[in-house]
Amino acid sequence: MYLNIAKLKCLKMSTMFKRRLQALGYLEWKKVNINDPQHFRKVVLWLEDQKIRQYDIQDRKDLRNIKSEYWPKAFAKYCMDVQCPIFDNDVDQLEWLIGCAIWLETDNDIENNQFQEGVYSVAKLLRIPQHPNHLVTLKACSKLVQRRLNSECLRNPNSKIVRGKPFPIMNCDPGFQLKKTAVENAAKILALLYIQDIRNLQTKINEVIVRVQNITANPKTDTKLGKVGK
Amino acid sequence: MVVRQYQEEIKYLEKITETCWRIKKGFQPNMKVEGVFYVNNSLERLMFDELKNSCRPGAVGGFLPGMKQIANVAALPGIVWRSVGLPDVHSGYGFAIGNMAAFDMNDPKSIVSPGGVGFDINCGVRLLRTNLFEEDVLPVKEQLAQSMFDHIPVGVGSKGIIPMNARDLEEALEMGMDWSLREGYIWAEDKEHCEEYGRMLNADSSKVSTRAKKRGLPQLGTLGAGNHYAEIQVVDEIYDKWAACKMGIEEKGQICVMIHSGSRGFGHQVATDALVQMEKAMKRDNIETNDRQLACAHIKSQEGQDYLKAMAAAANFAWVNRSSMTFLSRQAFAKQFQQSPDDLDMHVIYDVSHNIAKIEEHMVEGKQKTLLVHRKGSTRAFPPHHPLIPVDYQLTGQPVLIGGTMGTCSYVLTGTEQAMKETFGSTCHGAGRALSRAKSRRNLDYTDVLEKLERQGISIRVASPKLVMEEAPESYKNVTDVVNTCHAAGISRKCIKLRPIAVIKG
Repeated sequence: MYLNIAKLKCLKMSTMFKRRLQALGYLEWKKVNINDPQHFRKVVLWLEDQKIRQYDIQDRKDLRNIKSEYWPKAFAKYCMDVQCPIFDNDVDQLEWLIGCAIWLETDNDIENNQFQEGVYSVAKLLRIPQHPNHLVTLKACSKLVQRRLNSECLRNPNSKIVRGKPFPIMNCDPGFQLKKTAVENAAKILALLYIQDIRNLQTKINEVIVRVQNITANPKTDTKLGKVGK
Repeated sequence: MVVRQYQEEIKYLEKITETCWRIKKGFQPNMKVEGVFYVNNSLERLMFDELKNSCRPGAVGGFLPGMKQIANVAALPGIVWRSVGLPDVHSGYGFAIGNMAAFDMNDPKSIVSPGGVGFDINCGVRLLRTNLFEEDVLPVKEQLAQSMFDHIPVGVGSKGIIPMNARDLEEALEMGMDWSLREGYIWAEDKEHCEEYGRMLNADSSKVSTRAKKRGLPQLGTLGAGNHYAEIQVVDEIYDKWAACKMGIEEKGQICVMIHSGSRGFGHQVATDALVQMEKAMKRDNIETNDRQLACAHIKSQEGQDYLKAMAAAANFAWVNRSSMTFLSRQAFAKQFQQSPDDLDMHVIYDVSHNIAKIEEHMVEGKQKTLLVHRKGSTRAFPPHHPLIPVDYQLTGQPVLIGGTMGTCSYVLTGTEQAMKETFGSTCHGAGRALSRAKSRRNLDYTDVLEKLERQGISIRVASPKLVMEEAPESYKNVTDVVNTCHAAGISRKCIKLRPIAVIKG
């Protein structure tokens, strides 16, 4: 079971790498295999050359020498120089570097008008109301995409669509009374959001219990033991 | 007991609302707080008749009338605000059944009393739903009743079919429903829909006598006798559509299974052992009560703590017991309908405890207090948004399961804010006796009782038919009166009415 989870994690990682490399404009994003040392080194070099630019061009020669047996040493030094907080796992280090590149790439852009308009047009497409702060709207878009437009969900939409009858919370006595209707409505909405959080937590707890049960459960009955009383 | 004429007695009683009477201080000696009780007109008559009878010259023996017992509880050290009698109140050992009282945890004089919990510790009701309808079940009703009867042993001295050894029992006492989960008898969601999540964390099996464990071991997974039962029920009426919906009850005719049982001989022995210990503690600590049956000990004393830990173990026993019967009921249904319990949607709607003492936070006269709440024949009825009720019921309030008597209806209610304000979040628990067991045996014939059930189309499987008249509807107060009174008083709201089509009894 453990092995499978590790394998799954690896698979997820590699699709995530690919998606993020594609976003950064890495041409061969489709072919990348991060478990291949040559691919790995090429990606690192490309990130430094095109995005991160920690060193001057002449100082990148150790990194550029991707066939060299000293390359890992250069990589370790590089990670130190860019202040990567991870030391022991090169896949995680690469993930951090990609994140760093994305951050550098977008940091300059997220406040300009063009970006703002882009966010609002995405929101409109997704039918998400616009918040005065476009970054809040962006967060909402991201949540929706992650939850409802991921590949699993697209393959099997019914698995993610919440079923059951809607509860007419606005017409029901909420159990508390506030003087202003608007405040009371806001309180009702907050209560609903809180309930959703707790529901998700409870579902996760149940999932953990079920996993443990897979190992421990062994219910038995023995009808010979039964005795009807008087 | 103060001996007074009936006309003198009723001067201490005052009707404060349509459904609520006050018992003033002085009705019994040393009352520290007032008493209240909830009734409608017909229940009111029963209560006052009982008092009148006890005032007749030469009336001795038996329990004190319910009103007197409520007042005696109001005289216990450390009691807070009021001693509450719910509409199903009737005389019991020390505390009336249907009496709840709360004691301040921060008052060193406060007491805990086994009589305020009852002998059947954590007796309670569990309701399972199914996606079957009456027409699915009627053709196989007899077979299903028989199958339930075969799976769940009933009666005095019955033994369960789930193999348990002494070590299993020790673990079950500490773990409660977590034990049932670990062993795979129940579903993860069952725990979620159970008061206290089916486990009292302060349980300590080392505080339980060997005798109690010996009595309890073979009895796990059995119903017991008395008023305990498993019933196949049909949804007869839905009063609150949205709350019912949250419980997975969509339409009239839907089939449910109700299990009413407790901690069997185990809890009884724990209570008996504690009473002996507490009599000694009362002498030592100079605790005075109006009634010998109100044996108690200071909460913080060794005896008080030992009892609470043993009581918690008995509560855990009861939850494991109801969980085992849940497992067995699911098996019986699965076999009959050749479908998995999952496919039959046999989820636990809720599981309530109506004989228990718990530490809770309440607002008393504007101040938040930590209280030891005794509920004996009284069900917790927490309102919407209370942090201790399951997330699924945050909008509706806690489901309150009211078991009827053999052959009568049962109800599902929901908890309210009003109950929080008036009764420490408590409501009734069932019908409540009107006739004593002995009187029922004298007045009724068991064949009549059985025939009447048959005429109503109710299948019955019973271990000891000669005792059914003790549990006949005639021996009880009318459960509908009881429930309507709670609804009218606002201390819980009617949600669903259920009617039995098959009864399995001790």
